Order: sequence, then C-alpha cells, then structure tokens
Amino acid sequence: MRHYEMMVILDPSLDERTVAPSLETFLNVIRTSGGEVEKLDVWGRRRLSFEIDKKAEGIYAVLDITCTPEAVKELDRQLGLTESVLRTKVLRREVKKARKAAKAPAAAKA
Amino acid sequence: MSKERRAPARKKQNLLVREGVSEVDWKDTALLRKFISDRGKIRARRVTGLTPQQQREVAIAIKNAREMALLPQSTK
Repeated sequence: MRHYEMMVILDPSLDERTVAPSLETFLNVIRTSGGEVEKLDVWGRRRLSFEIDKKAEGIYAVLDITCTPEAVKELDRQLGLTESVLRTKVLRREVKKARKAAKAPAAAKA
Repeated sequence: MSKERRAPARKKQNLLVREGVSEVDWKDTALLRKFISDRGKIRARRVTGLTPQQQREVAIAIKNAREMALLPQSTK
C-alpha cells in the first residue's frame, strides 16, 4: 500500500456540483481493492494557463489515496478513457506528517 | 583602473523558500511563480540564490505544475 496524490482536470462544461459524486463512482476501484481515499478536494473551475483540447478552463480536483499500485493504475486508466477528463497526474509522495514524525523521534534521541 | 572597479555585489535573495516553506508543493502556484521569469522560464540558481537541492525541488515542482496547466509553458 502506497500513498498517492492525484490531480484530475475535468471538462469545464460539467456542473461543479456533480463532479464529486461522479468521481466517487470511479473511486470504487480503489475501495474494492482495499485502498483508502483520504481526501477528495474539488478546487472548482480555474483558468488553464494554456489550452487543453481547445478549452481555456478546467475543473480541478485533487485526491489523496492510499492503495496498491495496481489500483491507482486502473483508476488512472479508467479516468483517461473518460471523455470529460482532460488530464490526470499521479504522483507518489510521502505525507508531510509522516516525514515529520519520522524526524521527531530522531531529534529526541539526540 | 577601470578593471578594478566592479558593480557592488548585490545581495542574493537567498533562500526565498525558507521564508516559511520547508517543502515545495507543486500545487502552490503563487510560490512557484516567484521562480519563473515573465516568459515562463525557470530562473537560474544565481538569480534565485537557492541551494542545489532546493533549486532541483523547485524546478521539478514547476515542471509538474506546467503539465497540469497551472503554470505557463515557456514561450518565445
């Protein structure tokens, strides 16, 4: 199980309120494989700094996920196939808190 | 002699990141914008005054942000 950060840019013609529920359906892939979705943050509509598929705006959503590599891969694949998704990005990042916690005991010993 | 004369060494901005930020977040566009020129190019280390490690972190963050259209691709 690993921690992933995922950003999705969705078609601006969608209704912002429907974004979270529609993403939830995709997230079932994670949940059924034993993963966990820690955070689903919908930034809302935002100007793109350059056009993607002739669109000047996009609806941004950021996810924090803990799951197996296969599960994110599948989620990314499914989102990529969806037409209302302009772009996705998956990054593996350590959680800041975890890093700090790891540092703190070391400092305490010294 | 004119050779001896040099422009007074300007103090580097040095460690702009350390002003509160210990870890660069690629989603923090307001911060990253300080490290790109008006044409969208990443500023050189001699300009930013960052350590090599910090500069690398910032550069990677900017490139990630560019991919997601948070920052402009450098033009011209």
